[in-house]
Amino acid sequence: MRISTSQIYDAGVRNIQRSQEQLVRLQNQIATGRRMLTPEDDPVAAGRALTLSQAKDINAQYAANQNEASDRLRLVDSQLAAVNDLLQSVRTRVVQVSNTTLADSDRQAIATELAARFDELLGIANSRNAQGDYLFAGYRSDAPPFALAAAVAPATAPSVGYLGDDGQLLLQVGAAETMPTNVSGNELFMKIPEGNATFTTSAGRSGSVALNLGSGLIDSGAVADPTLWRDALNAFPWQGTSNRGLEIRFTVVGGVTQYQIFDTSTPPGAGLPPLAVSDLQPFTPGIAIRLGTSVPPAAAALDFGAQVVISGTPADGDGFQIKPSVNKSIFQTVQEVIELLRSPIGSAVARTDFSGKLAGHLTNLDQALGNVNRVQSGVGARLQELDALSATASAVDIQYQQTLSQLQDLDYAQATSDFTRQQVALEAAQRSFVTISRLSLFQYL
Amino acid sequence: MGTGLIGSSLTGMSAAQLGLQTTEHNIANVNTPGFTRQRTIQASNTGLLSGAGFIGQGTHVSTIERLYSSFLSEQVNRSQSSASELASYAAQIAEIDNMLADPSTGLAPALQEFFEGVQQVAANPSLLPSRQVMLSSAQALSARYQAIGGRLEQIYADIDGQVVASVASINAYGEQIAALNQRIGVAEASSGQPANDLRDSRDRLLLDLNKLVKARVTVADDGGYNVFIGSGQQLVVGAEFNALTTVASASDRTRLVVGLQTALGVQEMPERLISGGSLGGLLAFRRESLDRVSHDLGRTAASLALTFNAQSALGQDLLGQSLLTPSPNSFAPTFFSLAPPSVLANTSNPVASPIVSAAFVEPPPYSGNFYTDLQSSDYRLDGSAAGVTLTRLADNKVWSAADLTALNALLAGDPQGFTLSASAPDLTGASYLIRPTRDAALNLTINPAVATDPRLIAAAGPIRTELGKSNTGLATISAGSVGPGYPAAAAVASVPITLRFQSGKLLDFPAGVLVSVNGGAPAAIPLSGLDYQSGDSITLVGSATTTPPSGFTFMLTGLPNNGDTFVISRNSGGTADSRNALALGQLQTQHTMSGKAASYQDTYAQLVSNTGSKARQIQVSSEAQQALLQQAEASRDSLSAVNLDEEAANLIRYQQAYQAAAKALQIGTSLFEAILQLGS
Repeated sequence: MRISTSQIYDAGVRNIQRSQEQLVRLQNQIATGRRMLTPEDDPVAAGRALTLSQAKDINAQYAANQNEASDRLRLVDSQLAAVNDLLQSVRTRVVQVSNTTLADSDRQAIATELAARFDELLGIANSRNAQGDYLFAGYRSDAPPFALAAAVAPATAPSVGYLGDDGQLLLQVGAAETMPTNVSGNELFMKIPEGNATFTTSAGRSGSVALNLGSGLIDSGAVADPTLWRDALNAFPWQGTSNRGLEIRFTVVGGVTQYQIFDTSTPPGAGLPPLAVSDLQPFTPGIAIRLGTSVPPAAAALDFGAQVVISGTPADGDGFQIKPSVNKSIFQTVQEVIELLRSPIGSAVARTDFSGKLAGHLTNLDQALGNVNRVQSGVGARLQELDALSATASAVDIQYQQTLSQLQDLDYAQATSDFTRQQVALEAAQRSFVTISRLSLFQYL
Repeated sequence: MGTGLIGSSLTGMSAAQLGLQTTEHNIANVNTPGFTRQRTIQASNTGLLSGAGFIGQGTHVSTIERLYSSFLSEQVNRSQSSASELASYAAQIAEIDNMLADPSTGLAPALQEFFEGVQQVAANPSLLPSRQVMLSSAQALSARYQAIGGRLEQIYADIDGQVVASVASINAYGEQIAALNQRIGVAEASSGQPANDLRDSRDRLLLDLNKLVKARVTVADDGGYNVFIGSGQQLVVGAEFNALTTVASASDRTRLVVGLQTALGVQEMPERLISGGSLGGLLAFRRESLDRVSHDLGRTAASLALTFNAQSALGQDLLGQSLLTPSPNSFAPTFFSLAPPSVLANTSNPVASPIVSAAFVEPPPYSGNFYTDLQSSDYRLDGSAAGVTLTRLADNKVWSAADLTALNALLAGDPQGFTLSASAPDLTGASYLIRPTRDAALNLTINPAVATDPRLIAAAGPIRTELGKSNTGLATISAGSVGPGYPAAAAVASVPITLRFQSGKLLDFPAGVLVSVNGGAPAAIPLSGLDYQSGDSITLVGSATTTPPSGFTFMLTGLPNNGDTFVISRNSGGTADSRNALALGQLQTQHTMSGKAASYQDTYAQLVSNTGSKARQIQVSSEAQQALLQQAEASRDSLSAVNLDEEAANLIRYQQAYQAAAKALQIGTSLFEAILQLGS
């Protein structure tokens, strides 16, 4: 084929340029360490790299949230431990005071000590985090969640009300996982079922302030079948809608002690005498009394699935009341203990009443402690879960990093070897071009 | 005999001299672009008849010809036209390709930082600094959208400028080709010889014209070039020349297109008919890639704004304001501000045509998360006596209806993310271009109210739930959420609402409220109450039903006792609540686009990947075309370009021919002198 002079020059220059372009490209890759300089180098990998780096960043955000959640829960946990310690010390004092040989003045001194404990407890309940947000206020973290309000009769001490809410402060700790990072004050301090968590027992006749005259003491009772209790409670045709409850009333006729179960409910605002709902039964101290009705006003006999034990010797006319549990705050329990300790014990009858009441408060304190422990173990479980999530997050991060590296990063060995090869090619092209351009017939003319 | 000898020698000398001149012309033009090497064609003179036969009378040069092949030149023109088209396309697309994926100019990092800001608020909703961080990252995101959108607009403007310049150059080349046609005709008619160098100039102009646009040539009988571009549009016919011009498109007045100057005025040339050359490359880039990128980018911007706003409206700000707050209030239900889709009326619409406007469809009612149905396309609305027709320009899908109301109803079943309305019903003869997404990136800003007061970011939920204080049962109530249109539900079911459990039934629903259980059809609750079932999700929807049911939603689990109550109330003072901020943050990974099929980031990654693929495809084609062009040029140059060694040989050849002829002349002269000496 005929070759023109311009073809020789054009081809020479073109080849040198192509080599130089390759060299510059390789140099660029080596300098930046990136395999892809622009998405067009590998469009699929570029798209994947974008998605992956977002996933990696999101994972890092979750990890940061996990740390934050962990910090917050640890703070809550330390406060829970403080509440636990405090309640334990209160409980110790209550057990100590159940020794009825103590003088009124000793009880007064312990009452004063418990009053200080009460203030301490209120302080913990109103504690704040580093940002000044109240820890136990739910969503309403701007204002103290617990405040003293007017006393609710028959108590004389100011009651403690909860002004926060049940809001959970959530953090996104995983793609599909949000983690509550707080404990609501309601759950921790307020929503504690009294008694045995199903019903409470107390001494004394319904609608009467008179104390029992006998030495009978009632325990906190036991629930054999909660479903039976609940069904019976809801299905029983109470004579009124307020003050639902049962009363075990004793009659002593001719040295024979018998008891009978009464319905003590009344319509709101109106008083009705308790209505007998069982036959008279013989009483043996220390033997369990099954709660059930045999003379219902309308329907068949009902079993409440629960029992109580009354020990000692009840006198004629003594009564013991059983009421469905309602929630009683830790504050109220402690206040009631303090109030009980401050009232002097005058007679043997009062001493029996004191023992009965103190046993009731002890049950409530145990409920409160149990509740704190439950919340604590919940927080512990969350912390454990966060640890697991953290470990997963860092493993996933390494995985993402590796994949991203495979997509984006340069194989230096390959690139350096390519660079050297290209360099040789360029030098050869330059040398041969110079040689061929020197060949001209005009040199010999 | 002597004169014969001298005469022959003289013809040989003059032929050699012409050969030398032609060779020198070739050597002088070795570097002239478009030069075709020339050579002399020699022929022997007719012999003189004598008794001894025909005596040779020397030589003459019959013509000087170009070593030219119209076939090879045509091949170079074709290849050049395609190569220029692809090179101009490649240069343009490389620019946006780099911009989209670059870590400092791309959208991906800004999007990520924005959602990190949202997470900050979710973690610390009551802290003003964290709200400020979210606001700043939102402003950075909006600035990034505007910067990329602005750069794309700049590229549109640059293309307009280049189209104008290309058309001017095409006109200049056309005019010169027409002038050369005339000069060549005159020159060749008078001499009967080819006007080689003028023809070279004309071929060179034709090649230059092909760099701008694909031009087809037919050769007339007189050797003149007739040049056609596009679909056989005459640019040059003999000495006549028809100018091209640029004109704003009637359907899209923001876009400059190529037009033809005719006696009746300027006529728009269909864009698809202009191919090849850098002009063809520019138009193809604008049509195929730039529009696509603008649409996709705008689609993510619009979807982000619409879904984020829809979720924001369901929140409550740090001042405790929500949609439930009685007016006047300063609650800001939208976080982003976004202008409605632009609608351009065709400039040739009848004078009294109504104004058509478009509006984004609010993200569909709540079911999991918000999403949009926007598509990456412009739409054309045509009105006729029979009704209206909407055409999706990306794939020419057509919706026809009697009027806009019926059309909107059609679109409700096949959602495109927008609805249309007109200032008057009669659209006959009018045409409109609807651009739902093209300008969205440029128009994305932060709601100025929120921008100046970060407390207005709606991070909390507007309602909260609680159990009655004296509940004895074990039932719990979930935190509760609200759905779109919940203020309408609140009008009937005004909070606080206290529901009571009694004998297996939920009682005390507000009068007139409709209730949906587990997303079922909402129904009125009889006086006897709603059957209680643990784990049921209950939605109070107000008095009007929506699909899916939307209003106040909560879930009751566990067993309540008779008389237990559940309270739904306003979330007053809920400054530490971040439920809505969490929902906003979750939008990042949820399928919020393309009718619930892709996330923002998926869509953007797809955009980068698509643009990269296209850039790669064009780059590969461009390299292949460049190789084809080089082969075509090599074939042409092999025939037509000058080789200096060859010319050096020719120099020697003609020099020696000249010297030999001169020697013959000398011998003839000496013979003649010998005869003269005989007489002396």
